[in-house]
Amino acid sequence: MRAALAGYLTIAIVLLGGWELTARLDLVDADLLPSLSQVCGILWQLLHDPRFIADLGLTASEVAVAFVIAAPLAISSGFLLGERLHLAEAFNPVVHFVLAVPQSIFLPVFILAFGIGFLEKILFGITHAYFVILVNSFAAVRSIPRPLVAAARVFGATRAQIYTRIYLPAMLPLILTGLRLGMVLCIIGVLLAEMYASRRGIGRLIFTWGEGYQVPELLAAIVLVSVLTIAVNEAMRLAELHLGRFYARASAV
Amino acid sequence: MPIIEVSKLGKDFSSGRVLVRALADVSFSVEEGRFVTLVGPSGCGKSTLLQILAGLIAATSGEVRIEGERICAPMPNKISMVFQDPTLLPWKTALANVEFPLDLRGVERTARRKRCSALLELVGLNEFANHYPHELSGGMRQRVAIARGLAPDPRLILMDEPFAALDEQTRTRMGHDLLDIWEKTGKTVFFITHSLAEAIYLSDFVLVMSPRPGRIIKTIAIDFPRPRELDIIGSEAFGRIRNRIWHLISESPA
Repeated sequence: MRAALAGYLTIAIVLLGGWELTARLDLVDADLLPSLSQVCGILWQLLHDPRFIADLGLTASEVAVAFVIAAPLAISSGFLLGERLHLAEAFNPVVHFVLAVPQSIFLPVFILAFGIGFLEKILFGITHAYFVILVNSFAAVRSIPRPLVAAARVFGATRAQIYTRIYLPAMLPLILTGLRLGMVLCIIGVLLAEMYASRRGIGRLIFTWGEGYQVPELLAAIVLVSVLTIAVNEAMRLAELHLGRFYARASAV
Repeated sequence: MPIIEVSKLGKDFSSGRVLVRALADVSFSVEEGRFVTLVGPSGCGKSTLLQILAGLIAATSGEVRIEGERICAPMPNKISMVFQDPTLLPWKTALANVEFPLDLRGVERTARRKRCSALLELVGLNEFANHYPHELSGGMRQRVAIARGLAPDPRLILMDEPFAALDEQTRTRMGHDLLDIWEKTGKTVFFITHSLAEAIYLSDFVLVMSPRPGRIIKTIAIDFPRPRELDIIGSEAFGRIRNRIWHLISESPA
Protein backbone atom coordinates (compact mmCIF):
# COMPACT_ATOMS: atom_id res chain seq x y z
CA MET A 1 0.00 0.00 0.00
CA ARG A 2 2.73 2.45 0.98
CA ALA A 3 4.87 1.36 -1.98
CA ALA A 4 1.89 1.90 -4.29
CA LEU A 5 1.34 5.38 -2.87
CA ALA A 6 5.02 6.24 -3.36
CA GLY A 7 4.73 4.95 -6.93
CA TYR A 8 1.71 7.15 -7.68
CA LEU A 9 3.44 10.18 -6.21
CA THR A 10 6.61 9.58 -8.22
CA ILE A 11 4.67 9.24 -11.46
CA ALA A 12 2.62 12.36 -10.69
CA ILE A 13 5.71 14.42 -9.85
CA VAL A 14 7.62 13.28 -12.94
CA LEU A 15 4.67 13.90 -15.28
CA LEU A 16 3.58 17.24 -13.83
CA GLY A 17 7.13 18.44 -13.21
CA GLY A 18 8.09 17.44 -16.76
CA TRP A 19 5.08 19.35 -18.08
CA GLU A 20 5.93 22.51 -16.15
CA LEU A 21 9.62 22.33 -17.17
CA THR A 22 8.87 21.71 -20.83
CA ALA A 23 6.60 24.73 -20.89
CA ARG A 24 8.95 26.99 -18.91
CA LEU A 25 11.96 26.13 -21.03
CA ASP A 26 9.93 26.85 -24.19
CA LEU A 27 10.65 23.40 -25.59
CA VAL A 28 7.16 23.32 -27.08
CA ASP A 29 5.15 26.14 -28.64
CA ALA A 30 3.54 27.99 -25.71
CA ASP A 31 0.21 28.15 -27.55
CA LEU A 32 0.16 24.37 -27.75
CA LEU A 33 1.41 23.64 -24.26
CA PRO A 34 0.80 26.33 -21.65
CA SER A 35 2.53 25.75 -18.33
CA LEU A 36 0.93 23.68 -15.61
CA SER A 37 0.73 26.71 -13.35
CA GLN A 38 -1.14 28.67 -16.01
CA VAL A 39 -3.56 25.78 -16.55
CA CYS A 40 -4.11 25.52 -12.80
CA GLY A 41 -4.87 29.22 -12.70
CA ILE A 42 -7.48 28.80 -15.46
CA LEU A 43 -8.91 25.78 -13.67
CA TRP A 44 -9.26 27.86 -10.51
CA GLN A 45 -11.18 30.52 -12.45
CA LEU A 46 -13.36 27.91 -14.12
CA LEU A 47 -14.26 26.41 -10.76
CA HIS A 48 -15.59 29.83 -9.76
CA ASP A 49 -17.56 30.22 -12.96
CA PRO A 50 -21.22 29.27 -12.35
CA ARG A 51 -21.76 28.34 -16.02
CA PHE A 52 -18.83 25.94 -15.97
CA ILE A 53 -20.05 24.43 -12.69
CA ALA A 54 -23.49 24.01 -14.24
CA ASP A 55 -21.97 22.12 -17.19
CA LEU A 56 -19.92 19.98 -14.84
CA GLY A 57 -23.01 19.31 -12.70
CA LEU A 58 -25.04 18.37 -15.76
CA THR A 59 -22.46 15.83 -16.90
CA ALA A 60 -22.11 14.45 -13.37
CA SER A 61 -25.88 14.08 -13.06
CA GLU A 62 -26.09 12.34 -16.45
CA VAL A 63 -23.41 9.90 -15.33
CA ALA A 64 -25.09 9.41 -11.95
CA VAL A 65 -28.57 8.81 -13.39
CA ALA A 66 -27.23 6.43 -16.04
CA PHE A 67 -25.24 4.52 -13.45
CA VAL A 68 -28.06 4.33 -10.93
CA ILE A 69 -30.34 2.88 -13.61
CA ALA A 70 -27.74 0.58 -15.20
CA ALA A 71 -26.25 -0.92 -12.03
CA PRO A 72 -29.33 -2.60 -10.47
CA LEU A 73 -30.60 -3.72 -13.89
CA ALA A 74 -27.25 -5.22 -14.81
CA ILE A 75 -26.67 -6.85 -11.42
CA SER A 76 -30.09 -8.46 -11.42
CA SER A 77 -29.84 -9.69 -15.00
CA GLY A 78 -26.37 -11.13 -14.31
CA PHE A 79 -27.78 -12.78 -11.21
CA LEU A 80 -30.68 -14.25 -13.17
CA LEU A 81 -28.36 -15.65 -15.86
CA GLY A 82 -26.06 -17.07 -13.15
CA GLU A 83 -28.94 -18.81 -11.43
CA ARG A 84 -30.69 -20.02 -14.59
CA LEU A 85 -28.03 -21.58 -16.74
CA HIS A 86 -30.36 -22.41 -19.62
CA LEU A 87 -30.99 -18.67 -19.93
CA ALA A 88 -27.25 -18.06 -19.76
CA GLU A 89 -26.68 -20.47 -22.65
CA ALA A 90 -29.05 -18.42 -24.77
CA PHE A 91 -27.95 -14.94 -23.72
CA ASN A 92 -24.22 -15.19 -23.01
CA PRO A 93 -23.23 -15.20 -26.71
CA VAL A 94 -25.32 -12.05 -27.23
CA VAL A 95 -23.60 -10.37 -24.29
CA HIS A 96 -20.17 -11.33 -25.57
CA PHE A 97 -20.93 -10.09 -29.09
CA VAL A 98 -22.12 -6.78 -27.69
CA LEU A 99 -18.99 -6.47 -25.57
CA ALA A 100 -16.81 -7.19 -28.61
CA VAL A 101 -18.26 -4.38 -30.76
CA PRO A 102 -17.11 -0.82 -29.99
CA GLN A 103 -20.30 0.83 -28.82
CA SER A 104 -19.23 4.26 -30.01
CA ILE A 105 -20.22 3.30 -33.58
CA PHE A 106 -23.86 3.17 -32.44
CA LEU A 107 -23.87 6.77 -31.24
CA PRO A 108 -25.30 8.19 -34.50
CA VAL A 109 -28.09 5.62 -34.26
CA PHE A 110 -28.83 6.71 -30.69
CA ILE A 111 -28.99 10.33 -31.82
CA LEU A 112 -31.35 9.48 -34.67
CA ALA A 113 -33.57 7.53 -32.30
CA PHE A 114 -33.51 9.72 -29.21
CA GLY A 115 -32.33 13.14 -30.41
CA ILE A 116 -29.59 15.03 -28.57
CA GLY A 117 -30.29 15.68 -24.95
CA PHE A 118 -30.44 14.25 -21.48
CA LEU A 119 -32.24 11.04 -22.50
CA GLU A 120 -29.86 10.13 -25.31
CA LYS A 121 -26.80 10.69 -23.12
CA ILE A 122 -28.22 8.68 -20.26
CA LEU A 123 -29.14 5.81 -22.56
CA PHE A 124 -25.68 5.84 -24.08
CA GLY A 125 -24.16 5.79 -20.57
CA ILE A 126 -26.47 2.95 -19.54
CA THR A 127 -25.60 0.73 -22.49
CA HIS A 128 -21.91 1.36 -21.85
CA ALA A 129 -22.13 0.36 -18.19
CA TYR A 130 -24.75 -2.39 -18.42
CA PHE A 131 -22.90 -5.24 -20.10
CA VAL A 132 -19.67 -5.14 -18.15
CA ILE A 133 -21.58 -5.04 -14.84
CA LEU A 134 -23.76 -7.91 -16.05
CA VAL A 135 -20.77 -10.08 -16.95
CA ASN A 136 -19.21 -9.50 -13.52
CA SER A 137 -22.48 -10.15 -11.72
CA PHE A 138 -22.85 -13.42 -13.65
CA ALA A 139 -19.29 -14.42 -12.69
CA ALA A 140 -20.03 -13.45 -9.08
CA VAL A 141 -22.98 -15.85 -8.89
CA ARG A 142 -20.97 -18.65 -10.46
CA SER A 143 -18.11 -18.00 -8.01
CA ILE A 144 -20.19 -18.81 -4.92
CA PRO A 145 -18.79 -22.05 -3.45
CA ARG A 146 -21.70 -24.52 -3.63
CA PRO A 147 -20.59 -26.35 -0.42
CA LEU A 148 -21.18 -23.12 1.53
CA VAL A 149 -24.76 -23.12 0.30
CA ALA A 150 -25.18 -26.80 1.21
CA ALA A 151 -23.83 -26.10 4.71
CA ALA A 152 -26.21 -23.18 5.18
CA ARG A 153 -29.14 -25.37 4.06
CA VAL A 154 -28.21 -28.10 6.55
CA PHE A 155 -28.19 -25.48 9.29
CA GLY A 156 -31.70 -24.45 8.34
CA ALA A 157 -31.10 -21.31 6.29
CA THR A 158 -34.20 -20.13 4.45
CA ARG A 159 -33.91 -19.13 0.79
CA ALA A 160 -33.85 -15.46 1.81
CA GLN A 161 -31.11 -16.15 4.35
CA ILE A 162 -29.04 -18.01 1.76
CA TYR A 163 -29.26 -14.94 -0.49
CA THR A 164 -28.46 -12.39 2.21
CA ARG A 165 -25.94 -14.36 4.30
CA ILE A 166 -24.09 -16.36 1.63
CA TYR A 167 -24.76 -14.97 -1.84
CA LEU A 168 -24.46 -11.28 -1.06
CA PRO A 169 -21.15 -11.31 0.84
CA ALA A 170 -19.68 -13.93 -1.50
CA MET A 171 -20.64 -11.94 -4.60
CA LEU A 172 -19.67 -8.52 -3.29
CA PRO A 173 -16.02 -8.37 -4.44
CA LEU A 174 -16.80 -9.27 -8.06
CA ILE A 175 -19.91 -7.06 -8.08
CA LEU A 176 -17.77 -4.14 -6.93
CA THR A 177 -15.24 -4.84 -9.69
CA GLY A 178 -18.11 -4.77 -12.18
CA LEU A 179 -19.48 -1.53 -10.74
CA ARG A 180 -16.08 0.12 -10.92
CA LEU A 181 -15.52 -0.87 -14.55
CA GLY A 182 -19.14 0.03 -15.28
CA MET A 183 -18.65 3.49 -13.81
CA VAL A 184 -15.58 4.09 -15.98
CA LEU A 185 -17.49 3.02 -19.11
CA CYS A 186 -20.52 5.04 -18.06
CA ILE A 187 -18.39 8.19 -17.88
CA ILE A 188 -16.86 7.36 -21.26
CA GLY A 189 -20.31 6.89 -22.78
CA VAL A 190 -21.72 10.15 -21.47
CA LEU A 191 -18.64 12.21 -22.40
CA LEU A 192 -18.54 10.65 -25.84
CA ALA A 193 -22.17 11.52 -26.43
CA GLU A 194 -21.57 15.08 -25.22
CA MET A 195 -18.50 15.55 -27.39
CA TYR A 196 -20.14 14.16 -30.50
CA ALA A 197 -23.30 16.21 -30.36
CA SER A 198 -24.55 18.26 -27.47
CA ARG A 199 -25.35 21.79 -26.41
CA ARG A 200 -24.10 21.54 -22.85
CA GLY A 201 -21.94 19.48 -20.53
CA ILE A 202 -18.24 19.13 -19.84
CA GLY A 203 -17.71 16.91 -22.89
CA ARG A 204 -19.18 19.62 -25.10
CA LEU A 205 -16.87 22.24 -23.52
CA ILE A 206 -13.81 20.08 -24.08
CA PHE A 207 -14.75 19.60 -27.71
CA THR A 208 -15.50 23.30 -28.26
CA TRP A 209 -12.29 24.45 -26.59
CA GLY A 210 -10.33 22.00 -28.72
CA GLU A 211 -12.02 23.23 -31.89
CA GLY A 212 -11.48 26.86 -30.84
CA TYR A 213 -7.80 26.33 -30.02
CA GLN A 214 -8.37 27.44 -26.41
CA VAL A 215 -5.61 25.22 -25.12
CA PRO A 216 -5.38 26.41 -21.47
CA GLU A 217 -9.13 25.90 -20.94
CA LEU A 218 -9.00 22.57 -22.78
CA LEU A 219 -6.15 21.29 -20.62
CA ALA A 220 -7.78 22.59 -17.44
CA ALA A 221 -10.94 20.62 -18.22
CA ILE A 222 -8.92 17.53 -19.12
CA VAL A 223 -6.99 17.75 -15.85
CA LEU A 224 -10.19 18.20 -13.86
CA VAL A 225 -12.03 15.27 -15.50
CA SER A 226 -8.95 13.06 -15.12
CA VAL A 227 -8.60 13.90 -11.44
CA LEU A 228 -12.30 13.32 -10.78
CA THR A 229 -12.47 9.97 -12.60
CA ILE A 230 -9.27 8.74 -10.98
CA ALA A 231 -10.71 9.71 -7.58
CA VAL A 232 -13.98 7.83 -8.25
CA ASN A 233 -12.10 4.80 -9.57
CA GLU A 234 -9.68 4.69 -6.64
CA ALA A 235 -12.45 5.10 -4.07
CA MET A 236 -14.31 2.14 -5.58
CA ARG A 237 -11.12 0.11 -5.86
CA LEU A 238 -10.32 0.72 -2.17
CA ALA A 239 -13.80 -0.50 -1.19
CA GLU A 240 -13.23 -3.54 -3.40
CA LEU A 241 -9.85 -4.33 -1.83
CA HIS A 242 -11.20 -3.87 1.65
CA LEU A 243 -14.19 -6.15 1.11
CA GLY A 244 -12.29 -8.63 -1.01
CA ARG A 245 -9.60 -9.20 1.60
CA PHE A 246 -11.36 -11.98 3.47
CA TYR A 247 -12.63 -13.48 0.31
CA ALA A 248 -9.32 -13.69 -1.49
CA ARG A 249 -8.51 -17.03 0.09
CA ALA A 250 -12.07 -18.31 0.07
CA SER A 251 -11.34 -21.15 -2.33
CA ALA A 252 -8.77 -22.48 0.13
CA VAL A 253 -11.20 -22.38 3.05
CA MET B 1 -36.43 -46.71 18.53
CA PRO B 2 -33.28 -46.27 16.41
CA ILE B 3 -32.32 -42.69 15.63
CA ILE B 4 -31.58 -43.50 11.98
CA GLU B 5 -33.65 -46.02 10.03
CA VAL B 6 -32.77 -46.48 6.38
CA SER B 7 -34.91 -48.92 4.44
CA LYS B 8 -34.53 -50.09 0.85
CA LEU B 9 -32.92 -46.82 -0.17
CA GLY B 10 -32.05 -46.35 -3.83
CA LYS B 11 -30.68 -43.41 -5.79
CA ASP B 12 -30.23 -43.09 -9.54
CA PHE B 13 -28.52 -40.25 -11.35
CA SER B 14 -28.97 -39.60 -15.02
CA SER B 15 -25.97 -38.09 -16.69
CA GLY B 16 -26.97 -37.42 -20.26
CA ARG B 17 -28.66 -40.61 -21.50
CA VAL B 18 -26.79 -42.85 -19.09
CA LEU B 19 -28.54 -43.87 -15.93
CA VAL B 20 -26.11 -44.34 -13.04
CA ARG B 21 -27.32 -46.42 -10.13
CA ALA B 22 -25.53 -44.82 -7.17
CA LEU B 23 -27.32 -46.66 -4.36
CA ALA B 24 -29.44 -49.81 -4.40
CA ASP B 25 -31.41 -51.42 -1.63
CA VAL B 26 -29.47 -49.82 1.23
CA SER B 27 -30.93 -50.71 4.63
CA PHE B 28 -29.51 -50.24 8.12
CA SER B 29 -30.31 -48.59 11.42
CA VAL B 30 -28.29 -46.72 14.04
CA GLU B 31 -29.11 -46.59 17.75
CA GLU B 32 -28.99 -43.30 19.62
CA GLY B 33 -25.60 -42.28 21.02
CA ARG B 34 -23.57 -44.60 18.79
CA PHE B 35 -20.53 -43.81 16.72
CA VAL B 36 -21.10 -45.50 13.38
CA THR B 37 -18.78 -45.31 10.40
CA LEU B 38 -19.43 -46.07 6.77
CA VAL B 39 -16.39 -47.23 4.80
CA GLY B 40 -16.00 -48.02 1.17
CA PRO B 41 -13.85 -47.20 -1.86
CA SER B 42 -14.04 -43.77 -3.49
CA GLY B 43 -17.09 -43.37 -5.67
CA CYS B 44 -19.13 -46.10 -3.99
CA GLY B 45 -21.94 -43.73 -3.10
CA LYS B 46 -20.97 -42.86 0.49
CA SER B 47 -21.34 -39.14 0.04
CA THR B 48 -24.61 -39.58 -1.86
CA LEU B 49 -25.98 -41.57 1.06
CA LEU B 50 -24.88 -38.89 3.49
CA GLN B 51 -26.47 -36.13 1.44
CA ILE B 52 -29.75 -38.05 1.50
CA LEU B 53 -29.45 -38.47 5.28
CA ALA B 54 -28.86 -34.70 5.55
CA GLY B 55 -31.99 -34.00 3.52
CA LEU B 56 -29.95 -32.20 0.86
CA ILE B 57 -30.97 -34.53 -1.98
CA ALA B 58 -33.96 -36.81 -2.41
CA ALA B 59 -33.78 -40.58 -2.76
CA THR B 60 -35.16 -42.31 -5.85
CA SER B 61 -36.72 -45.11 -3.81
CA GLY B 62 -36.99 -46.25 -0.22
CA GLU B 63 -36.96 -43.97 2.78
CA VAL B 64 -34.93 -42.54 5.66
CA ARG B 65 -36.48 -41.91 9.05
CA ILE B 66 -34.77 -39.83 11.72
CA GLU B 67 -36.34 -40.48 15.14
CA GLY B 68 -39.30 -41.87 13.25
CA GLU B 69 -39.76 -38.78 11.12
CA ARG B 70 -39.40 -39.31 7.41
CA ILE B 71 -36.73 -37.02 5.99
CA CYS B 72 -37.30 -34.99 2.83
CA ALA B 73 -35.56 -31.71 3.72
CA PRO B 74 -32.79 -30.64 6.12
CA MET B 75 -33.76 -30.98 9.82
CA PRO B 76 -31.63 -28.28 11.43
CA ASN B 77 -32.91 -29.01 14.92
CA LYS B 78 -31.98 -32.68 14.76
CA ILE B 79 -29.24 -33.13 12.21
CA SER B 80 -25.94 -31.31 11.85
CA MET B 81 -23.16 -31.92 9.41
CA VAL B 82 -19.39 -31.55 9.15
CA PHE B 83 -18.28 -31.46 5.53
CA GLN B 84 -15.10 -32.61 3.85
CA ASP B 85 -14.22 -28.95 3.26
CA PRO B 86 -14.64 -26.91 6.43
CA THR B 87 -17.16 -24.70 4.51
CA LEU B 88 -16.56 -21.82 6.90
CA LEU B 89 -17.67 -18.36 5.84
CA PRO B 90 -14.40 -16.59 5.00
CA TRP B 91 -15.75 -13.18 6.02
CA LYS B 92 -16.66 -14.31 9.54
CA THR B 93 -14.38 -15.01 12.51
CA ALA B 94 -14.08 -18.50 14.02
CA LEU B 95 -16.55 -17.59 16.76
CA ALA B 96 -19.02 -16.01 14.33
CA ASN B 97 -18.82 -19.14 12.18
CA VAL B 98 -19.70 -21.33 15.16
CA GLU B 99 -22.57 -18.96 15.91
CA PHE B 100 -23.85 -19.08 12.33
CA PRO B 101 -26.46 -21.87 12.79
CA LEU B 102 -27.85 -20.13 15.89
CA ASP B 103 -27.71 -16.76 14.17
CA LEU B 104 -29.85 -18.21 11.35
CA ARG B 105 -32.59 -19.17 13.77
CA GLY B 106 -32.48 -15.86 15.58
CA VAL B 107 -30.93 -16.91 18.90
CA GLU B 108 -30.16 -13.80 20.91
CA ARG B 109 -26.57 -12.56 20.69
CA THR B 110 -25.29 -12.95 24.25
CA ALA B 111 -26.85 -16.40 24.64
CA ARG B 112 -25.34 -17.70 21.42
CA ARG B 113 -21.98 -16.08 22.15
CA LYS B 114 -21.82 -17.80 25.54
CA ARG B 115 -22.74 -21.19 24.15
CA CYS B 116 -20.41 -20.92 21.16
CA SER B 117 -17.41 -19.72 23.20
CA ALA B 118 -17.83 -22.84 25.33
CA LEU B 119 -17.91 -24.98 22.17
CA LEU B 120 -14.74 -23.36 20.85
CA GLU B 121 -13.15 -24.22 24.16
CA LEU B 122 -14.36 -27.81 23.82
CA VAL B 123 -12.56 -28.13 20.48
CA GLY B 124 -9.49 -26.38 21.95
CA LEU B 125 -9.70 -23.14 20.00
CA ASN B 126 -10.84 -20.57 22.58
CA GLU B 127 -7.72 -18.49 21.89
CA PHE B 128 -8.58 -18.29 18.20
CA ALA B 129 -12.14 -17.00 18.54
CA ASN B 130 -11.40 -13.78 16.67
CA HIS B 131 -9.27 -15.28 13.91
CA TYR B 132 -10.58 -15.53 10.36
CA PRO B 133 -10.59 -18.93 8.63
CA HIS B 134 -7.65 -18.08 6.37
CA GLU B 135 -5.58 -17.40 9.48
CA LEU B 136 -6.17 -20.94 10.79
CA SER B 137 -4.56 -24.23 9.81
CA GLY B 138 -6.56 -26.96 8.05
CA GLY B 139 -7.00 -28.89 11.29
CA MET B 140 -8.14 -25.79 13.17
CA ARG B 141 -10.71 -24.98 10.49
CA GLN B 142 -12.14 -28.48 10.81
CA ARG B 143 -12.29 -28.01 14.60
CA VAL B 144 -14.28 -24.82 14.04
CA ALA B 145 -16.56 -26.79 11.70
CA ILE B 146 -17.07 -29.44 14.40
CA ALA B 147 -17.91 -26.77 16.98
CA ARG B 148 -20.35 -25.25 14.48
CA GLY B 149 -21.90 -28.68 13.99
CA LEU B 150 -22.47 -28.93 17.73
CA ALA B 151 -23.88 -25.41 18.08
CA PRO B 152 -27.54 -26.22 17.31
CA ASP B 153 -27.37 -29.06 19.87
CA PRO B 154 -28.42 -31.67 17.28
CA ARG B 155 -29.28 -35.30 18.01
CA LEU B 156 -27.21 -36.56 15.11
CA ILE B 157 -24.00 -35.33 13.51
CA LEU B 158 -23.12 -36.45 9.99
CA MET B 159 -19.45 -36.28 9.09
CA ASP B 160 -18.34 -36.57 5.47
CA GLU B 161 -14.64 -37.53 5.45
CA PRO B 162 -13.90 -34.53 7.65
CA PHE B 163 -10.21 -35.36 8.11
CA ALA B 164 -9.44 -36.51 4.56
CA ALA B 165 -7.54 -33.37 3.63
CA LEU B 166 -5.34 -33.37 6.77
CA ASP B 167 -1.87 -34.81 7.20
CA GLU B 168 -1.52 -38.17 8.95
CA GLN B 169 -0.50 -36.83 12.35
CA THR B 170 -3.13 -34.11 12.50
CA ARG B 171 -5.69 -36.63 11.31
CA THR B 172 -4.88 -39.13 14.08
CA ARG B 173 -4.93 -36.38 16.68
CA MET B 174 -8.26 -35.05 15.39
CA GLY B 175 -9.80 -38.52 15.57
CA HIS B 176 -8.65 -38.90 19.15
CA ASP B 177 -10.06 -35.50 20.11
CA LEU B 178 -13.30 -36.21 18.26
CA LEU B 179 -13.83 -39.32 20.42
CA ASP B 180 -13.24 -37.17 23.48
CA ILE B 181 -15.85 -34.65 22.29
CA TRP B 182 -18.28 -37.44 21.40
CA GLU B 183 -17.96 -38.96 24.86
CA LYS B 184 -18.54 -35.57 26.50
CA THR B 185 -21.55 -34.62 24.39
CA GLY B 186 -23.21 -38.02 23.87
CA LYS B 187 -24.27 -37.23 20.30
CA THR B 188 -24.94 -39.88 17.69
CA VAL B 189 -22.22 -39.66 15.04
CA PHE B 190 -22.51 -41.05 11.52
CA PHE B 191 -19.06 -40.82 9.98
CA ILE B 192 -17.76 -41.47 6.48
CA THR B 193 -14.16 -42.31 5.67
CA HIS B 194 -12.10 -44.45 3.37
CA SER B 195 -9.44 -44.97 6.03
CA LEU B 196 -10.08 -48.37 7.63
CA ALA B 197 -7.87 -47.59 10.63
CA GLU B 198 -9.79 -44.39 11.30
CA ALA B 199 -13.10 -46.23 11.00
CA ILE B 200 -12.14 -49.04 13.39
CA TYR B 201 -10.47 -46.77 15.93
CA LEU B 202 -13.47 -44.42 16.15
CA SER B 203 -16.52 -46.62 15.82
CA ASP B 204 -18.95 -48.86 17.63
CA PHE B 205 -20.03 -50.24 14.27
CA VAL B 206 -18.47 -50.17 10.83
CA LEU B 207 -20.77 -50.42 7.82
CA VAL B 208 -18.91 -51.75 4.78
CA MET B 209 -20.12 -50.50 1.44
CA SER B 210 -19.36 -51.78 -2.05
CA PRO B 211 -19.70 -49.80 -5.27
CA ARG B 212 -21.85 -49.84 -8.43
CA PRO B 213 -24.46 -49.88 -7.14
CA GLY B 214 -23.58 -48.74 -3.63
CA ARG B 215 -24.92 -51.16 -1.03
CA ILE B 216 -24.05 -52.23 2.52
CA ILE B 217 -22.36 -55.62 2.36
CA LYS B 218 -21.52 -56.08 6.04
CA THR B 219 -21.95 -54.50 9.46
CA ILE B 220 -19.07 -55.14 11.84
CA ALA B 221 -19.26 -54.47 15.59
CA ILE B 222 -16.05 -53.04 17.08
CA ASP B 223 -15.71 -54.12 20.69
CA PHE B 224 -12.61 -52.34 21.92
CA PRO B 225 -13.38 -50.86 25.33
CA ARG B 226 -13.70 -47.10 25.68
CA PRO B 227 -12.12 -44.68 26.26
CA ARG B 228 -9.76 -45.90 23.58
CA GLU B 229 -6.08 -45.13 23.37
CA LEU B 230 -4.22 -44.75 20.08
CA ASP B 231 -2.11 -47.81 21.00
CA ILE B 232 -4.92 -50.17 19.98
CA ILE B 233 -4.27 -49.32 16.34
CA GLY B 234 -1.09 -51.43 16.51
CA SER B 235 -2.71 -54.40 18.27
CA GLU B 236 -3.24 -57.81 16.72
CA ALA B 237 -7.02 -57.72 17.20
CA PHE B 238 -7.13 -54.36 15.38
CA GLY B 239 -5.10 -55.79 12.49
CA ARG B 240 -7.45 -58.78 12.20
CA ILE B 241 -10.52 -56.56 11.87
CA ARG B 242 -8.77 -54.35 9.36
CA ASN B 243 -7.83 -57.37 7.23
CA ARG B 244 -11.34 -58.66 7.38
CA ILE B 245 -12.80 -55.37 6.14
CA TRP B 246 -10.08 -55.08 3.55
CA HIS B 247 -11.02 -58.48 2.13
CA LEU B 248 -14.69 -57.58 2.11
CA ILE B 249 -13.99 -54.45 0.10
CA SER B 250 -11.40 -55.88 -2.26
CA GLU B 251 -13.37 -59.04 -3.03
CA SER B 252 -16.50 -57.16 -3.97
CA PRO B 253 -16.57 -56.38 -7.69
CA ALA B 254 -15.05 -52.93 -8.17
